[in-house]
Amino acid sequence: REAPTARSGSAGAPAEGIRAKGPRSSLREQMPGLRPGPPSRTHSGRLPDPFPHPNPRNALHVGSVMCPAGCSHVNGFKVDNWKQNLRVIYQCFVWSGTAETRRRKAKSCICHMCGAHLNRLHSCLYCVFFGCFSKKHIHEHAKNKRHNLAIDLLYGGIYCFACQDYIYDKDMEQIAKEEQRKAWKLQGGCSVLASLAVILKCLSFCCPDCLELLRHNPKRRKITTNCTIGLRGLINLGNTCFMNCIVQALTHTPLLRDFFLSDRHKCEMQSNSCLVCEMSQLFQEFYSGHRSPHIPFRLLHLVWTHARHLAGYEQQDAHEFLIAALDVLHRHCDDNGKKANNPNHCNCIIDQIFTGGLQSDVTCQVCHGVSTTIDPFWDISLDLPGSSTPFWPLSPGGDSGVVNGEGHLTGSTTLTDCLRRFTRPEHLGSSAKIKCGGCHSYQESTKQLTMKKLPIVACFHLKRFEHSAKLRRKITTYVSFPLELDMTPFMASSKESRVNGQYQQSVDVLNNDNKYSLFAVVNHQGTLESGHYTSFIRQHKDQWFKCDDAIITKASIKDVLDSEG
Amino acid sequence: MSKELQMRAAINQKLIEMGERERLKELLRAKLIECGWRDQLKAHCKEVIKEKGIENVTVEDLVAGVTPKGRALVPDSVKKELLQRIRAFLAQHST
Repeated sequence: REAPTARSGSAGAPAEGIRAKGPRSSLREQMPGLRPGPPSRTHSGRLPDPFPHPNPRNALHVGSVMCPAGCSHVNGFKVDNWKQNLRVIYQCFVWSGTAETRRRKAKSCICHMCGAHLNRLHSCLYCVFFGCFSKKHIHEHAKNKRHNLAIDLLYGGIYCFACQDYIYDKDMEQIAKEEQRKAWKLQGGCSVLASLAVILKCLSFCCPDCLELLRHNPKRRKITTNCTIGLRGLINLGNTCFMNCIVQALTHTPLLRDFFLSDRHKCEMQSNSCLVCEMSQLFQEFYSGHRSPHIPFRLLHLVWTHARHLAGYEQQDAHEFLIAALDVLHRHCDDNGKKANNPNHCNCIIDQIFTGGLQSDVTCQVCHGVSTTIDPFWDISLDLPGSSTPFWPLSPGGDSGVVNGEGHLTGSTTLTDCLRRFTRPEHLGSSAKIKCGGCHSYQESTKQLTMKKLPIVACFHLKRFEHSAKLRRKITTYVSFPLELDMTPFMASSKESRVNGQYQQSVDVLNNDNKYSLFAVVNHQGTLESGHYTSFIRQHKDQWFKCDDAIITKASIKDVLDSEG
Repeated sequence: MSKELQMRAAINQKLIEMGERERLKELLRAKLIECGWRDQLKAHCKEVIKEKGIENVTVEDLVAGVTPKGRALVPDSVKKELLQRIRAFLAQHST
């Protein structure tokens, strides 16, 4: 149905979004610089969280790494009616959902040795004994009685005195989780998930208006792992699938979602043509629970107004739309002149999420002086094998006459291949001499791009549409892409350490700083002249859906990874 | 037991009995996540683990290692809010 318009030079093709690590909990001042952790989710606690954090005791999970085989001492406990016993302990002394159990907990939860209540009280799992953990009273008990296991009465963690650490047993964790959920239900009186209950409580305390709102809207939406909230089709308004596929990707960008659903946008525009306000509205539509397709006519109108080159009912390029949309959103984010003061350091939500820094090192071949510039970017456009620009070999400065795409024999091209090519040193040749700052003359030089700063969300764009002087065509080379991508090899810092000879291929399990996980893929089907855009988006943690304008269907991970990208 | 300790124990009992202690815990958790404390501490924990090596660190080591910083990093506003809430609760429930 539609294909991109031919625009000089810039070949556009399906953009592919990859999201970094879990959504950041605090999207505020400290965001730039501080990189998010591993894909565990942390939320600001105020949003209806579609990914409820199953286990809040995050820090404790560190231990599970240490002892992969698990604790062997739990088997001694797992006899007879142990599950029921453990449940009773959780019900009565840890989570205490009912008034009766709370009363009992309040009375009995003191150290049997010193009578104190606040030194991280633990209970023996083998007999009735409570003891301070901080003062080692429970340790003493464990040693004397050889009762190896104790439970933390505040957080429900289970400690093994033989292993000298908290332990992580699947069955036990399951029981703990179930009992905690039950307790919340009992206390909350309604069947919302723990995280939502927390939110309500939190709201009721900090914001009386919100409480009022909640009273007037008693309907609660339950977010389960198989609910479809957030999924909504978009009507095609006449070749607008280029917009629909990007809107789907944007509305499922966790950080953007958190930003908009928490109502963070304070509009400062005079007219009512603010695209950010429209996005806010759009998020409300998407997460309203309505199942009928949404008609994005207001959005389209605003796009036409603010990005004139995309106006009309012609077929457009999705990548171009993405960049135009980010640009307009960025401009509308705070329109009160903050940007004018410091154009390079914008703090708007778009820049916080999407902006990275690309380092370009130009090395003079004569004096080996390096001049470095760093440019911000929103997306990375990658050349494909099969395009008329030489793709291989990867050897620095290799002659460029080598056959395209054939240097690579190990099967399909990967996204990593494309990135490797993107970041390889490139000989600029005699026709492109650059004035060297070191030897003050025009010399041949090499240029290399690396990532100085990674964005929170990285968008990769495969240049499938080629518009050269000779030909215009779509390159259909299959490029495989992973669910998780480590960008470390493409960082400027890795290059430096490589140059200094310190580069080690150490597999650092803890270093998730440069890891991304896939959350959206935009695909183009058809030809340059006429085609159609669809997208895959991730919902919850690992469920994928295909969005084809108004139609949304469930997709498998295989469907996603096998798509052209 | 000193008077203060008795008082503390009584307050703690009341908080547990009414379920307020759990609510306070959740409130505190939410507040700390919101202000970025959790992320800061997580980063700090990672540093500690890297420093000691993953093989020889226990939760206890970690707790000992990050507690001083963790305490110091709690914003005053959060402490104040919690204190106010406890005061309000006690005022409501004192006979």
